[in-house]
Amino acid sequence: MRTIVPFLLVLLVPAAPALAQRLDLSLSPVVITFPSSDPDTVPLVLAPPVQVTYRVRQNNNAPWSLTVLAAGDLMSGPSSIDISNVTWVATPAPPFQNGTLSKTVAQRVAAGNGNVNPDAIGSITFRLANTWTYSSGTYTQTILFTLSAP
Amino acid sequence: MRLTLSVLLFALVFAAGRVPAGAQTSNATLNASINGLARLSLSSAALTFPDADPDTVPSIQATQGPITLSAKARTSPNGAVTLTVLASDQLRSGLNTIPASNITWVGGGAGFVNGTLSTTAAQVVAGWNGSGVRTGTQMFFFRNLWSYATGTYTLTMTYTLSAA
Repeated sequence: MRTIVPFLLVLLVPAAPALAQRLDLSLSPVVITFPSSDPDTVPLVLAPPVQVTYRVRQNNNAPWSLTVLAAGDLMSGPSSIDISNVTWVATPAPPFQNGTLSKTVAQRVAAGNGNVNPDAIGSITFRLANTWTYSSGTYTQTILFTLSAP
Repeated sequence: MRLTLSVLLFALVFAAGRVPAGAQTSNATLNASINGLARLSLSSAALTFPDADPDTVPSIQATQGPITLSAKARTSPNGAVTLTVLASDQLRSGLNTIPASNITWVGGGAGFVNGTLSTTAAQVVAGWNGSGVRTGTQMFFFRNLWSYATGTYTLTMTYTLSAA
């Protein structure tokens, strides 16, 4: 029975650091609005830039990435606008990169290695391809940003 | 045996200290406002019918040939888009007039129809459903009669593109 004690000590002490928060991510604003515009004069509608604040800690030299995935197409009742009509321009590059939204495959927004500490800030400007074919309405969709480290 | 078990447990716990952090997520909402909008453009803002002998040319074709109309509209899903034309007055030359109804047209292109000019009711030039860009033509003709007084006659036509 005396041999049980050393095992308990080994279990409790090293396990504590694994619970520390290592990834932080925040967006501002979280509502991204494209104003209505004339397709002839504004073929690409820009939304106000989104500020991305992120931090990666205790990551050693491992890679990290920030991705974005749309929950679906832009929807307005029975009408939809394919989400691939939404692209973005992101800075600074690197670690940020430009891309096109997808509802099926998470798209990389930024990537790097090691830690990012203290917080770093990126800027993402979403753009909507503006065409005459869209039905009038107020369209909406949710997009999910994921900051991950292996 | 005890030593082996201790080493194994330590190894497991050490590995647990390097457990992947997983992921941190954040949602954002995309909103896009698409308002109703319509724009019409014509390839020519003037039509001219040359003088001709009524016996040999009973129907005079406009010298510009067919004019091309481009109608762009954003409307509700499957909403009606209508292009009409209305004459401001009869063809007038001083005190002399020729009824606007002596001008007719032949429409070309999807949604475009033939018609006769009117001063009292806007006449349908074309119609569609839903948003989009449509292009078609109108070829105008003037009914040529011996009864007209000589002169240079004019009128103004107003096109209206509307989206429901």
